[in-house]
Amino acid sequence: LFSVLAGFAEGMMLAVAPAPLLAIVAIGLLAGQGGRSGLIPALFALGMLAGSLAIALAMRETPSVLVLLATAASVGVTVAAAIVVPPFPVNGLAFATGAALALNAPPQAIGIPAAIASQIGTGIAATAALVLVASMAAGADRPWQRIGVRVLGSWIAASAILVLALRLAR
Amino acid sequence: MKMAAMVLFSGSRGFAPLVILLAIGTPACAHSGDTAGGFLAGFAHPLFGPDHVVAMVAVGLWGAFLRQPAIWLLPIVFPLVMAFGGVLGIAGVPIPSVETGIAASAIVLGAMVALAARPPLWTAVVLVGVFAIFHGYAHGRELPGGADPAAFAAGFVIATGTLHLCGIALGLLARWPAGQLAVRAAGAAIALIGAVYLGGLV
Repeated sequence: LFSVLAGFAEGMMLAVAPAPLLAIVAIGLLAGQGGRSGLIPALFALGMLAGSLAIALAMRETPSVLVLLATAASVGVTVAAAIVVPPFPVNGLAFATGAALALNAPPQAIGIPAAIASQIGTGIAATAALVLVASMAAGADRPWQRIGVRVLGSWIAASAILVLALRLAR
Repeated sequence: MKMAAMVLFSGSRGFAPLVILLAIGTPACAHSGDTAGGFLAGFAHPLFGPDHVVAMVAVGLWGAFLRQPAIWLLPIVFPLVMAFGGVLGIAGVPIPSVETGIAASAIVLGAMVALAARPPLWTAVVLVGVFAIFHGYAHGRELPGGADPAAFAAGFVIATGTLHLCGIALGLLARWPAGQLAVRAAGAAIALIGAVYLGGLV
């Protein structure tokens, strides 16, 4: 039981590592800004499920962290510029980000139950964080709150662009 | 930083939980790198460069002085263009006289505030954007490879943004005649600090 709980906690922490968190907050802001705070988290969770299945099928290491950073950068710029994006690309992006996040968080636990608990932990933490951000961004109806969302978008984009460049330069 | 963030996002539908979420973001042990240390090092990075600090405050001051939409447009544009400058720095693209450009940013932006200059919005955006490249370049050259780079980058971008917010908060004093004088005096002081740094470089 302890190893399962430890795996669950470890999985939750994987979801809030800096690079995944940048992508989660970016997608959440985009969802909230576009008033789609309901569907996006569902597609994101579905993407995470797909990513977890891919890990279970022993998929090899993927450049998922680069996908997360690229997503954070592009979505951050979109949020900062307050560009209205059609639903289809946003939905696809949410699904892909969920999948990339799951692939970026392979469980470190040795036992299968603990590994599954780790994936569940990652999924719950990431989806909860996304729902939280999206609902807050959707509730930002005052002008200064909407500006705050755009400023956050620019900060996320700037951070992600720098880290992406650093990783690609190595 | 947290105080400024709380002030920014306080309200009935406050963003405080989001700020807390961002602040507690921690790494899994499996993802190597010291995230907390990386974030703090990144956050402290711009704060220990007085020339950076005054220039960032000047961006916020000038934005507040120019009022809508510059008050929020300049702090949005700056980090994005700064990131572009950072990419140039990471890629090792040579840019001459970076430190001179940073000192000049304090002089020019401080002077804009001191002189109560109100150029067209695009001019202000271009001016701030050009200087952001120098600041970003310097940061990009100093991004650590060992510590968690995402935490470091997030830290120093948030610190930069917080300095903008400080400048905006100070700049809001310009709504009153006495405050306007104080803001213009602050602009003159920033320009003077920039001149001192530029003098040290020559």
